[in-house]
Amino acid sequence: MARDTGGMLQGTLGLLILKALVVQDQHGYGIAQWLQDVSGDVLQIEEGSLYPALRRLEDKGLITSHWAITENNRRARYYALTRAGRQHLRNDASTWLQFAKAVTLVLRAEPSVL
Amino acid sequence: MSFFRRNRSPHPVPLWRRYRAFFRPDVDADVDDELRFHLEMRLADFERRGHTREEAERMARAQFGDVEDVRAWLTDHDRHRQRRETRLEIMDSFMQDVRYAARRLSQRPGFALTVILVLGLGIGAATTMFSAVDAALLRPLPFQRDDRLVTLNGITIPLQEITDQHEADITDARALRNLFTAVSAYAAGGINLSDVNAPLRLNVALVTNDLFTTLGVPVAHGRGFSADEGRPDGPKVAVLSDGLWRRQFGADLSVVGRQVRLNDVPYQVIGVMPPGFRFPQETDVWLPLTIPSSFTQFEAFRGWMPSTVVARLAPGVTPGQARPVVKSLIEKFQSPERRAFPSKEPAVAPLRDVLVGTQKRALLVLLGATALVLLVACANVTNLLLSRALAQRSELALRAALGASRARIVRQLLVESMLLALSGGVLGIALAYAGVRVLGAVMPPRLAGAAPAEVDWRVLLFSLLVAVLTGLAAGLWPALGASRASAGETIRSATPSSSLGREGTWARRTFVVAELALALMLAVGAGLMLRSFQALLALDTGVRPTSVATLELTLPSAAYASKADRRRFYDEVVSRMEASPGVTGVAAVNELPLRGQASIAITVEAEGAPPVPPDQMKMAQLLYTTPSYFSTLGIPVLRGRTFSTPYDSARPPEVIVNETTARQLWPGSDPIGKRLKSFFNGPSPVVVGVVGDVRPVSLEVRQIGQMYYDFGSSPPSNAALLARGTLPPAQLARQLREVVRDVDPRQAVYNVRPMTEVIAGAIAPRRTNTTLLTLFGIVAVGLAAMGVYGVIAYGVTRRTKEIGIRMALGAQPRNILALIAREGVLLALLGIALGAAGAWALRKVVASLLYGVSADDPLAFAGAAVVLFAIAVVATLIPARAALKVDPARTIRVE
Repeated sequence: MARDTGGMLQGTLGLLILKALVVQDQHGYGIAQWLQDVSGDVLQIEEGSLYPALRRLEDKGLITSHWAITENNRRARYYALTRAGRQHLRNDASTWLQFAKAVTLVLRAEPSVL
Repeated sequence: MSFFRRNRSPHPVPLWRRYRAFFRPDVDADVDDELRFHLEMRLADFERRGHTREEAERMARAQFGDVEDVRAWLTDHDRHRQRRETRLEIMDSFMQDVRYAARRLSQRPGFALTVILVLGLGIGAATTMFSAVDAALLRPLPFQRDDRLVTLNGITIPLQEITDQHEADITDARALRNLFTAVSAYAAGGINLSDVNAPLRLNVALVTNDLFTTLGVPVAHGRGFSADEGRPDGPKVAVLSDGLWRRQFGADLSVVGRQVRLNDVPYQVIGVMPPGFRFPQETDVWLPLTIPSSFTQFEAFRGWMPSTVVARLAPGVTPGQARPVVKSLIEKFQSPERRAFPSKEPAVAPLRDVLVGTQKRALLVLLGATALVLLVACANVTNLLLSRALAQRSELALRAALGASRARIVRQLLVESMLLALSGGVLGIALAYAGVRVLGAVMPPRLAGAAPAEVDWRVLLFSLLVAVLTGLAAGLWPALGASRASAGETIRSATPSSSLGREGTWARRTFVVAELALALMLAVGAGLMLRSFQALLALDTGVRPTSVATLELTLPSAAYASKADRRRFYDEVVSRMEASPGVTGVAAVNELPLRGQASIAITVEAEGAPPVPPDQMKMAQLLYTTPSYFSTLGIPVLRGRTFSTPYDSARPPEVIVNETTARQLWPGSDPIGKRLKSFFNGPSPVVVGVVGDVRPVSLEVRQIGQMYYDFGSSPPSNAALLARGTLPPAQLARQLREVVRDVDPRQAVYNVRPMTEVIAGAIAPRRTNTTLLTLFGIVAVGLAAMGVYGVIAYGVTRRTKEIGIRMALGAQPRNILALIAREGVLLALLGIALGAAGAWALRKVVASLLYGVSADDPLAFAGAAVVLFAIAVVATLIPARAALKVDPARTIRVE
């Protein structure tokens, strides 16, 4: 179950991470928590796959990272949206929403149409 | 949470770029920390929800996936990224330096342009000469393993007609199987291509059937020579060069198998060589050189063609190992007479030595000269940079005060000089492109077999290297000096009397003295070359070449088989030409003087003279001329007369000798009426005249004896025609060509030119060497003068206050002038003394290039010294005069 949604999410994981960082900078664990919270456990991902995705976003210049101290006084790597990241999110979110709508339509269509 | 956050950058610059510059993070530890944080947080979360620690730990790991996998991926990724960032950072700060340097330089374009021009000249000269040296000496020959190819000197090709062997020949060398895997031979000459619309003169090479294999160059189309074709009386076949095949046969492949007529003899084309293969000498067509060879084969080539034997060394054999074996082989067959004239050439020598020949020394000397020019340019630029560093003292001090480290300032200044050097390099390469073209035009005939000089990647690499070294050499000293001073100096104390000022002045003086010394060395070299050239020009060639035109031709033996046929042709041409308006004399000779090509000389003895030991035999050049030859070429008849006309074979043979032969054979007595010992069976020739000496092959070859026989007695198939007249020589030459065409439209002629051009050709290599060395000398002297000017001008500026005080105290202008000029004169004298010592030490290097003047020629040394001194004094006086314009009242008030 978790594997299935994880695979499907691969392409959109980046988008979700960006979304997670809109409100505030977050560490990897925080992002994982947020994903769980907002999707109500429906979207289950292997948390480990989050980190390579974060690196890729960083390489693209959509996010940056820095070390900081958490409220529990622990050292953690925080991620933050860049201006480019914000822009990307705006553009891609709408395309994604359209895509999601299309997927929903297809899934509801008659089996013969498929 | 944000309360704790630090290092938050307001810049769009990614944060890591700033902070990693201070402490490079440990990538592995960071990845561990990040993952551990995640897992521990998750574990704590599960624990909070009531799981046991073990359970929580298992669940956290399960939810995470493969931790080791992710860790490995992240570590790998981050390491890569860190390396990339480090590179970027270096590039970044480097580009920053470059931008800064460019900005600083563009603020004073005059300075930058001067430096670039000076360096461009130096690098351009060095690059041009390097490309010539590269082509001649460094670049591999276009043959397989060219380093294994050697020439064997003293080994001959056996002749069919001579059955008793008296010299070591190629079959003996081929027997040395443990030394050579292959032994071949070639001989180069000219031949007429008579098939096409217009007759054409071609360069031909006679080669043994295995030469292409020995060189390791395969035939491009068709095939090479077979063993059959390498035997005497084998089929007549030819291989064409790619150039001739394209030019003359339109690159038509069907020409292979067709016939071409060479010297009126049909040859079957069997192959075409690949493009660029012209071995040994701009060759158009290759014919088999048979073993044994025969006189009939050489008939078309003056009856004789010097051959070269080329061999491929067996694996592991060095030329040094082969040399004694070949030497003893040669000596085994040598006659005692021959042994009296031992060859100066090593028995086994690299093939390249033959191809490059005598130019090697000259090329290396010229390359050395350009290195000196480059050094002078470097010293000059160092001085320019030094004075610039002085002028920017306060700026550098400010930068040091603001925290720029010394290394950083040195780097900054080096980037600046490097930028200048590379710009100079670009200019130099542009100059080299032009230079190589000029060099190609003025250099003596292209180096056989080797490619012509060109600017290729090796040359570009060389000039790049030179530019970088120049930038370092010229920039390092000023950069270190300036940074040292700026570290210790406060911004305020930028007064001329500061330590840097004094130290800089000494450094500048040192460099100027070095420049003057180097320039003097070049000037002495140029002086010696000019004196040699002058000696050469003053030399009496023995002929009056003005108003004389000439052309050369080879009569094909097929159409002109007998002496009578040839005699008829020459008689016809000469009489028609004589009848032309504006022509005062026409002559024919078998060999033009000063043509620069090897000539035949044979031993000569007076009849009835006591026998002479072999090592004291006199040699004389064997020439055949028409009676009018001497008057046509302006050779004085000193005693007796020229040949009687018309030629009559019934008369005893007549011979005319030159002064040298007359003196050698009949010292103190009149040679007229005396007889020479006949060199062929027949009546002894009687001396009818003595003529002036004519320089043989080249101006620089020692005068030898000469003997002239009547052209009519044996009209050669190779001959030169000469005409003297009132017409301009070029027109005369054209007319000569027309007459030949009228007599035989199928006859090819070549080297149609005024006689003066023949003479000019004889001194062309020396003219080139002399011109180039003189040019380099002038550039070096000019640069040195610039250096002197710079130092004196700076001294005047620095001492403005002192001069003002002196003037206020009543010093006369000439006192001031003397004060300033003293420095320049002292520098010049010191530089000249050092340079003279250097030139003296190096005089042996140029000695072999000189003619008629010794390497310690006092006039060349003194002349160079005087010229350089005079120029240095002028370079001193110009800025010194500026000192006289100093206004005492104003200068004292300054500061």
